[in-house]
Amino acid sequence: MDMIGYPLVNALGACLIITSMTVVLAKTMRASAFLYSFQSLMLVAILASLGFVTSSSELFTWSATAFVTKVVLVPAILLFTLKKIGGDAHADLLPKINSMKAVALVAVEVFVCFVAVSGIELPTAAEVKPTLAVALAHFFIGLTCIVIQRSIFKQIFGYCLMENGSHVALALLAPQAPELVEIGVATDAIFAVIILSVLVWRMGHYAHTLDADDLCELKG
Amino acid sequence: MDYTILFLILMGCPLGAAFLMALLPSKMTPRAVYAAIHVIELAGVAVSGLVLVVSAFMGNDIFVVGEWFHIDGLSALFLGLIAVIAPCTGVYSLPYIKHDVEDGKLGPSQVKQYYLFYGLFVFSMILAVTSNNIIMMWVSVEATTLSTVFLVGVYRTKLALEAAWKYVIVCTAGVAFGMFGTLLIYANAADVMADAHQAVFWTAILPNAPLMDHSLMMIAFVFAAIGFGTKAGLFPMHTWLPDAHSEAPSPVSALLSGVLLKCAILIVLRFFILTAANVGDIFPQVVLLILGVLSVVYAAFEVYRQNDLKRKLAYSSCENIGLIAVCFGIGGPLGIIAGLVHCIAHGLTKALMFCLSGNVMMKYHTRDLSKISGIISVAPVTGVLFVAGCLALAGFPPFALFVSEMLMILAGVAAQAWWVLAVVLVALVVVIMALVHMITGAALGKASEEVKRGDVSPLALAPEVIFLALIVLLGVALPGPLAGSIEDASAIVMVYEDENPANGNLFVDALEALGAQEQPEFNDAMDVSDVSEETEEVLE
Repeated sequence: MDMIGYPLVNALGACLIITSMTVVLAKTMRASAFLYSFQSLMLVAILASLGFVTSSSELFTWSATAFVTKVVLVPAILLFTLKKIGGDAHADLLPKINSMKAVALVAVEVFVCFVAVSGIELPTAAEVKPTLAVALAHFFIGLTCIVIQRSIFKQIFGYCLMENGSHVALALLAPQAPELVEIGVATDAIFAVIILSVLVWRMGHYAHTLDADDLCELKG
Repeated sequence: MDYTILFLILMGCPLGAAFLMALLPSKMTPRAVYAAIHVIELAGVAVSGLVLVVSAFMGNDIFVVGEWFHIDGLSALFLGLIAVIAPCTGVYSLPYIKHDVEDGKLGPSQVKQYYLFYGLFVFSMILAVTSNNIIMMWVSVEATTLSTVFLVGVYRTKLALEAAWKYVIVCTAGVAFGMFGTLLIYANAADVMADAHQAVFWTAILPNAPLMDHSLMMIAFVFAAIGFGTKAGLFPMHTWLPDAHSEAPSPVSALLSGVLLKCAILIVLRFFILTAANVGDIFPQVVLLILGVLSVVYAAFEVYRQNDLKRKLAYSSCENIGLIAVCFGIGGPLGIIAGLVHCIAHGLTKALMFCLSGNVMMKYHTRDLSKISGIISVAPVTGVLFVAGCLALAGFPPFALFVSEMLMILAGVAAQAWWVLAVVLVALVVVIMALVHMITGAALGKASEEVKRGDVSPLALAPEVIFLALIVLLGVALPGPLAGSIEDASAIVMVYEDENPANGNLFVDALEALGAQEQPEFNDAMDVSDVSEETEEVLE
């Protein structure tokens, strides 16, 4: 099983990077929400395959909760928020840098993360170093998404990507952690998305803008 | 003794009150109902919290729900801050919210939102300081952000929402770094511990810390310092702090600055202890020293430059958090004690100042210092408290910050950290100038005729008088039990050293440290070769 299992986990890790790029580059928020749902499906697959490889029953529970929270709930919340915002403000804003520059930036981040992780000697994650690098890179892709996007709605996806990176790292580094910890992390993420969504809706409703460039009055 | 019931009351009061308020219809429920639930909830927190703190001060190591929650001498200090400051700012909230409702700034749903999230905020801070599970520590710090977002943005103006957005985005992104640091430590501990399930508990990791991988521990500490340092408001991750503190209602600013920043510092300290036990204290001290000195210098000039009362105070928080990091960075028994005393002293002083800023805003309806003058003649009690608060914040005797800053200087002298002391002292002079300028301009200047004379309600003044009394008490004579508990807490921080750092008297420690001969040169001590030597010693 190990002969197939770990390469499968690493291959799914590579898919995570590709799908996260599509989330960042998607032109509309609706498309980003569906692509995020698809990406989360990859995450669920990683958790389940890790569960097979490590024989960790906790990871199967995690994959089930990740399916409910990330594949279904988070995209549903985001789509509902988009519907609620309606005509209050324009959510589909172009990012601050073009797609080519964004892809180049992500490529650099992925490379740096692979180099950084290659220097780590950790028996727990020895077989899944590429996926660990992907998890770390995912985290920075999310951060990049927050920084380069003008639409604050799109910045929520940045947070979600960071959170997915953390989730994969948690599964890789702490597969035996008590379920309650994972439930705490997952619940925290759901609450974070709800709160961010409410805040974005309020921004659209009261300030009539979702443009991060308009939100620079508090300075100095 | 079983502390479970007491602990459940401590956690259950704010959480239960929040759930109860959530069930009440906002439009039909009078404000007094929320206020009553709020007061009962905070009374529960104060009584149960202080009883637990006193028990911990008496030397009891309290574990609740197996090993999930732990109150030792260190967390008791921070729990004590919550148990004192949260009820006081909670009482201050009553007249403040009443004023905002009468001013038309808050509607019924916002009042409900305020009291509901206030409870959740207190609950999440208690969770953060009492959690023994390192992953739950991260979850609870994240929860403090989520529970305060709607408090920061409660006014629903564009500026308030902008501040809330920056706050939540910067802190969640920043604290995610802390998550990575936490995971690295867990994975590292799980590799060396016989029972991997125990690797999530801080108290179980600590005895095994010397066996863990050194490079991973250093990476983990950097992640944790960045992540939880963001929440603490350390430069350069402080950007959310002035915006959130200035736009939030004043009692919330008081709680954010007085307690929440210290909760984040406690988590950094927990990671500091693990890292020091693994690679020696030099590496984590250098990291904290760099972040601390940068924070103090940057924030000191911002305190001077700002013309907005609450932004000035917010940058002062950034500066004081920097001072705390400098104290821990200097290290040694005196440095650690100075840092812990500064946590308490700054918590109380800043809670006082932010509440006073609320009084000023109630009278002047502005935060712009160019439009605020003559507070003493407009509202005499507020004015006197304001002058005393500014002097306390500037570190003058007989106030508590004088003690902690003197201890920091003594620690610096003992460690021969001359360049650190020189830079920090210059920055402190700049802060003193800024605060003296605020006293002469805002408190003593000529009052405008347009401002209505008369003080704010006694209910608003009472918590401030309590804060000032505590600040003077700590400045004049640190009460014996508190001094003992600070020494116990410093012993926990210095658990990686063989010798018990405290002699039972802070000033004896100070004199001994100053009189010590042949102290190692501080700059020499930062040599990388020393890190590896200490590491070898730890391994042996």
